[in-house]
Amino acid sequence: MNTDAWLHALDGELRRRGIDPALARHVVAEAAVHLRDSRQAPLAAFGPPDAYAAAVAESVGSPVRSAPHRRSAPGPVRLEARGIVKRHRRRTVLSGVDLTVRAGEIAAVVGANGCGKSTLLRICAGLESPDRGEVRLRGTLGFCPQDGGTSDFLVPDEHFALVGAGRGMRRGAAVRAGRAYAAALDWDPAGAGQARFLSGGTRQKLNLVMAGLGDPDVLLLDEPYQGFDRGSYVDFWRQLWAWRDAGKTIVVVTHLLDQLDRVDTVLDLTPARTTEARA
Amino acid sequence: MIKVLTVAEMTVREILRRRAVLVIILMLPLAFYLSRRGDHLGQSIRFVCLGLGWALSTAALFSGSAARGLEPRLRLSGYGTGHLYAGRLAALWTLGLVLSAPYFLLIRVDADRVEHGAIALIMLLTVAVAAPFGLVLSVLVPRELEGTLLLLTVVGLQMMMDPAGSAARLLPFWFSREIATYAVDHTDGGYLARGLTHGTVCALALTVLAMTLASIRLRRRPHLRPVT
Repeated sequence: MNTDAWLHALDGELRRRGIDPALARHVVAEAAVHLRDSRQAPLAAFGPPDAYAAAVAESVGSPVRSAPHRRSAPGPVRLEARGIVKRHRRRTVLSGVDLTVRAGEIAAVVGANGCGKSTLLRICAGLESPDRGEVRLRGTLGFCPQDGGTSDFLVPDEHFALVGAGRGMRRGAAVRAGRAYAAALDWDPAGAGQARFLSGGTRQKLNLVMAGLGDPDVLLLDEPYQGFDRGSYVDFWRQLWAWRDAGKTIVVVTHLLDQLDRVDTVLDLTPARTTEARA
Repeated sequence: MIKVLTVAEMTVREILRRRAVLVIILMLPLAFYLSRRGDHLGQSIRFVCLGLGWALSTAALFSGSAARGLEPRLRLSGYGTGHLYAGRLAALWTLGLVLSAPYFLLIRVDADRVEHGAIALIMLLTVAVAAPFGLVLSVLVPRELEGTLLLLTVVGLQMMMDPAGSAARLLPFWFSREIATYAVDHTDGGYLARGLTHGTVCALALTVLAMTLASIRLRRRPHLRPVT
């Protein structure tokens, strides 16, 4: 990791830990001066940026940000799936699944591989038909697939313009909104190449930004953080909470069971254990 | 209209960035033309029209296949199936016309004893047929490879089958040989009329079929009920 990349990473880690921006700039500037004068490699001088940022946060008394409490009570029901049954050939994947999510709520869909998490999300998005059951949707929908969903030969700004036109946004506004969402995920898409040249994690950021463009009321996110580094993963949850505070309804497929304290509803699709629990 | 134009613009951008494919598409009709240029100019003209059809069908196939993952989410982002289909088709037709123009000029300069108006008609009909034909294949076959092999089969049959046989009329580019015979050999107007009818029917049928298949693939499922 070169000095510039290390300093950039340090800046991001300090921001994620809620350090005052002025203080963060000061810390980064001090580190830069030290590295220049000492001619040391940053990892040798300070260690990994996240560890150094944690030490700085501890020394100034800034707590590491965890899941914030919801700022307001949930609103009306936006997404209601009832009695969803789906079979693939002779195997029953979903057996009478119910899910209700309100405005200002995050629901996590969890379960083992192959238990139907992505299938349920695609059914909720109307991209796949169930064998039985119905989904009631109030408002507009944004969908982030687990993979695909982008065009290999378009650059990020063109993706924003394409989705934005569908949402009735002007091109300039769509590109600005896309770049702003991307910045919240610590990604600068200006000048980025075609999607086929993006790393897996960056491509998923593009996917996530596209899902949020145009302020849809309901966001369906299918493991959107695949390939994210730790910092991006933290940014991702902060973005989710920001959307929740703005009254969005969010359903996120995840297999990371240690993150369930961050959501309001958990739907476990593990066979023989299909339950909907509220936090 | 903005939605259609945006899809058309992005489709053109995607195709223009497939540089290797683009070079092959541009050069393929030329190779067909040069293959019989020395001994049989009429056959060269027939082949160049087939080459244009194959090249544009391939571009449409690649474009349609590449859009498979993106179009469902665009449907959820406010696009209708008609916007997506019309935009893609408009882009492909435009590309086909641009691709045809230099070959028409080549024939105009290189062959003076042919009906140039009829050659222009073949090229117009070829563009009109080839784009929806490639889009139909992109829906019916799961991958580009299978689609390319199917296109190869169709164009190969088109070259080998006796155009006077009734089975040859089932092929989408049969009209090009009929009209080319009129244009090159100065036969009676029956060739022109049959070719024009065949080409028009093929273009309309394939356009409607491609739209129908797109509508089925991107349909709104009835289990999803919007509540207002």
